[in-house]
Amino acid sequence: MLASLPDAIALLLTAEALLTLVLGTTLGIILGAIPGIGSTVAVAMVLPFTLSMGQAPAIILLLAVYAGSVYGGSISAILINTPGTPQSAATCLDGFPMAQRGEAGKALGWATIASVIGGLVSAVVLLAAAPQLAALALNFGPIETFSLILLGLTCIVSVSTGSMAKGLLAGVIGIFLSSVGGDPVIGEPRFTFGNWQLISGFNLLAVVIGIFALSEVFIRVSERPKVVSELTAFRGIVLPRWAEWTGRRKGLAKSVVIGNLVGVLPGTGAATAAFISYAEGKRSSPNGAKFGKGEPDGLISSEAANNAVTGGALVPTMARGIPGDAITAVMLATLTLHGITPGFRLMEDNPTLVAAIFAGFFIINLLLLPLGLLLSRIAAPILRMREAYMMTGVVLLCALGVYFVRGNPFDLMVMGFAGVLGFVLRRQGIPMAPLVIGMVLGPTLELTLRQGLILTRGNFLEFFSGHPIALGFGLLTLLALSLPLARGILGRLRDARAG
Amino acid sequence: MPRIFNERVLTQLLLLAVAVALFLSTLGSHPDVPAAQSPVFFPRIILGLWIGLTLIGLVQDLLARKAVGRVERLGAAALFILAAIFYVNLVTRLGFAVSSAPFAALGLFIFGIRNPWMILGYAIAVPGVLVVLFNHVLGMPLPTSPFTYLF
Repeated sequence: MLASLPDAIALLLTAEALLTLVLGTTLGIILGAIPGIGSTVAVAMVLPFTLSMGQAPAIILLLAVYAGSVYGGSISAILINTPGTPQSAATCLDGFPMAQRGEAGKALGWATIASVIGGLVSAVVLLAAAPQLAALALNFGPIETFSLILLGLTCIVSVSTGSMAKGLLAGVIGIFLSSVGGDPVIGEPRFTFGNWQLISGFNLLAVVIGIFALSEVFIRVSERPKVVSELTAFRGIVLPRWAEWTGRRKGLAKSVVIGNLVGVLPGTGAATAAFISYAEGKRSSPNGAKFGKGEPDGLISSEAANNAVTGGALVPTMARGIPGDAITAVMLATLTLHGITPGFRLMEDNPTLVAAIFAGFFIINLLLLPLGLLLSRIAAPILRMREAYMMTGVVLLCALGVYFVRGNPFDLMVMGFAGVLGFVLRRQGIPMAPLVIGMVLGPTLELTLRQGLILTRGNFLEFFSGHPIALGFGLLTLLALSLPLARGILGRLRDARAG
Repeated sequence: MPRIFNERVLTQLLLLAVAVALFLSTLGSHPDVPAAQSPVFFPRIILGLWIGLTLIGLVQDLLARKAVGRVERLGAAALFILAAIFYVNLVTRLGFAVSSAPFAALGLFIFGIRNPWMILGYAIAVPGVLVVLFNHVLGMPLPTSPFTYLF
């Protein structure tokens, strides 16, 4: 495919393609920043415009909106604790505390650079190794995916501030909430108690927006109101200096690798990648103890991974014709509408087109930096308003965002009650991040566990005895769980000796 | 309130009661299906963990006897929460603009804004801008009011 790169670049250097790249990325960032619209809706919105375009510009427009919206989701996550997309839920954990400290510009700077690098590396990986990655993805069956998700769930331990039991409890509540509705194997409704609205389960974004954003507004209104918001100092993105990257490059590289690998696995998605990467970042970063309190390493872990997924997700879509999620399914539909049949033959028969798409993806990620800087400067004056105006506006935006997910009034009620639940639980010292992690990873965990049990005829031990990849992830999970315990015991012993 | 029955302990007891009730609701369902293939197989494991962890949390809270800090503006918080619940319920029935304007006005008042012109201006301008942006620029229609036909 690399041999076709010069022709592919020539294809991209047309006025139509360049305009598509800039407009698509800008639109993606704006739509992604609006809570609730999300990547899928953003991509679906521009789909009709692609019908009158050529093959390469059509796919590039969708990719630009996709990558732009994933990055845009981090803007509202950092500034108002409302993830624009589910993939940005992990970004709230450190981004919003930084904004509360008056470092919103810096937080956006870290997020922007991490997103750009994550996306760029994934574009290079795509160009160089798409067929090989597609083959690797075939080694992942339900059992391997189950063990990977199990490893991802260990980040509940790392994001549990205060009592570990309460953090785990929040995670378990999140997993339970994700199991309400149709059973993933036979489709039978569970815990619906005769309410047909519950058959499709609780909408993830409605719950996330409720427990993060709405509960934050409730907490603010219950305290003495501040005259000015924390965003008063916000003047736009402040890019991190080179020296500030010292000790962070390894973590960034690791997050990019995680994003790419999770991206190529169908059915996992960017939110899963962000949380797995966050857990790994927390474990390996020297600043791990500060995660969740506004630590740039946490932001880098989640943002680099969720943007690296965008490239990885294209691998099974283009090379195998298997969409990894709803967004890549829309892209697959667009390819088909333009008479392109995805699969290995596509790379052999039409290498220029594939290379143009991948090279276009590289340029889109380069564009995120200048466009992010420009758009943040334009938006800065709007965000420097009094807390009263900001918080009231957040409720309107939350309602609007959740309405657009499915247009379902029930989701709005779910958001309202999730807000109250978040308010009550946060007052009791129960952290909310594990609840979201549980809700994100729960459905895949259950589905792959049940599929694995069917494959092994109910023998759980066979999950690890006959599957080396699963065994590897299983050992990593044990290590991830035992390390904090060992550190705690050693710390106590040290304190006892010193005391 | 006696220290042993503080807000934290009551919340844990409530969470425990919910988990136990949900667990009990799964008993006796699908007796003919192999355990691992029952639709309630996975939720039962999760509910078991929920019960266990709530018990641990309950013991921790009882031993700590640490009360939660009081809500500084309880009345304001309760009013705002009620208004927000009403608002999200009404937004699809009354339309976005009609329900957002009074909610925004009330919200600003609860947050301490007393300038009537600022409240009025914000309550009309912000929902108005959002309606124009979504309905006319982005082509994503917001919930419409049943009174729209009057205009």
